[in-house]
Amino acid sequence: MKAAGKSGVSGFAPAAMPYLLLAVLIVLPFFGPGPNTVRLLFVTFVWVTVSIAWNILGGFGGQVSFGFAVFYGLGAYTAALAVNSGLHTVLALLLAAGVAALASLAIGLPTFRLRGPYFAIATIGVSEAVRVVMTNVSMTGGASGYRILETRPFHQLDHFYIALGLAVLAVAASAGIRRSSFGLALIAIRENEDAASDLGVNAFRAKLLAHACAAALTGAAGGVYAQYAAFIHPQGVFAFSIGVAILLMPIIGGVGTIWGPVIGGVVYGLIHEELVASFPQLHLLIYGSLLILIVLFEPAGLFGLLDRWFRVLAGARRIRAANP
Amino acid sequence: MPPILSLDRVTKNFAGLIALKGVSFELQQGGIYGLIGPNGAGKTTLLSIIAGSIQPTSGAVIFEGRNLIGIKSFGVVRAGVVRTHQVPKPFRALSVLENVEVGMRFGHSQSSASDPQSGAQILEWVGIAHLAHASAATLSVGDQKRLELARALAARPTLLLCDEVCSGLTESETACILSLLCRIEKSGTTILYVEHNLRAVMSVSHHVIVMNYGQKLAEGSPQIVQNDPAVIEAYIGRTTNTDGREPRTKSVA
Repeated sequence: MKAAGKSGVSGFAPAAMPYLLLAVLIVLPFFGPGPNTVRLLFVTFVWVTVSIAWNILGGFGGQVSFGFAVFYGLGAYTAALAVNSGLHTVLALLLAAGVAALASLAIGLPTFRLRGPYFAIATIGVSEAVRVVMTNVSMTGGASGYRILETRPFHQLDHFYIALGLAVLAVAASAGIRRSSFGLALIAIRENEDAASDLGVNAFRAKLLAHACAAALTGAAGGVYAQYAAFIHPQGVFAFSIGVAILLMPIIGGVGTIWGPVIGGVVYGLIHEELVASFPQLHLLIYGSLLILIVLFEPAGLFGLLDRWFRVLAGARRIRAANP
Repeated sequence: MPPILSLDRVTKNFAGLIALKGVSFELQQGGIYGLIGPNGAGKTTLLSIIAGSIQPTSGAVIFEGRNLIGIKSFGVVRAGVVRTHQVPKPFRALSVLENVEVGMRFGHSQSSASDPQSGAQILEWVGIAHLAHASAATLSVGDQKRLELARALAARPTLLLCDEVCSGLTESETACILSLLCRIEKSGTTILYVEHNLRAVMSVSHHVIVMNYGQKLAEGSPQIVQNDPAVIEAYIGRTTNTDGREPRTKSVA
């Protein structure tokens, strides 16, 4: 996977902007947005989280996986089962993250022996296999799905804040990994796995660890979604289209960066949720056109585009300051 | 003193092709060892086996008393054996300094007092300090070769395996790299230097190992090796008649 260069791209996004945005999102519910707006934001946070998660493995580590629906679905089912057996929401999410991370090890141990497109193809196979198995597991209702029994009244804002918290955690994890030795190892692996190994990087372990981090975040996001939706089924959460969507978000936003996947998640969340309702026939066309335009004209994604605009603006400002 | 590296009958078959056949030699601590031979002699294969990139079919590679067979390349690096590549493999999305950081953070698990303390210091040493914050994708071939060396040095090698660090360089660039190798050797690192450029390798090595068709042909000081009839035959060819006519060229170095 070709990456969009370095993470902390200069010029764009003053350091305070993310905090400002977070503050706005925290206080937003007090200004009485409608339940539809809250729902849209909730879903966007879930997408942002999985987009960031995929980017840890695919963007930093260069391992393109089509199989993230496995972790999303396993997280959703784990959280649903946990909540139904009386576990607290947060514990249920931790359990969802743990189960997804364990699954990532089971999948990664054989598949990370493959490289490049062979790894990508293997993840497609695993994803489909898990979906078929889950369609036939009677404990979770098989193809007809599984329902969370609601013992408490539904508070939409609780879900909103949990999803927001998870998205913030994902951004923090992504930024922390990018700055760490682990992040440096992942980028070295993406750029040239043999050269990285010849400098002492244990590529196999680094990939497994990145896969586990990404799976844990994706599993938790699946758990958050399941608790909100209260009903999940294999054709929904394990769908291959979910795996593809998770991969496309960071590519649209800017793969290999910290903020690119956030932008990708927001764009997908808005287009998917809004356009599906308004133009049920057209939303895939719009999404597909956006993807083609980006891959053709801005491989660094929307983040690369924004970064360029900000640089041009900053340059113009400097020229004006120099020639008053 | 026990040798720092000893190869015992190292053999490598690639399917039907015998790349290495029972190669044995020893390197003592310190000094630059030249490893030469015509194209296809098995030099790079041998280097890759020592570095753990490929495993031999049979034989042993003993480094500081430890058999390296079965240890993956990152484990060999952590034991203190670091290689460079014939074709530089920079991490293009990273800056020059970040490239060096990879070696510093993941290299040889033990460090000694003489090891460089920072990436900037290493870049200073190899002469690309002014490019520290440039993207590695923008480097010229000569600077890529220097970065390749800088990265390997950052991994604190006890034994440095250099694969044709001078190929594709101009004469002045070659001279710079050779003087750099001499400085690295003086700081206490043993170097095994694979090179096609005979003049370059003969000028810096104190001991030369010659390979041909996957076997060790000769070894000794550069003078002895240069005058060895078997080496001359492998490189220049053999006189097929004794009536004083020009010898026919069989292979050219």
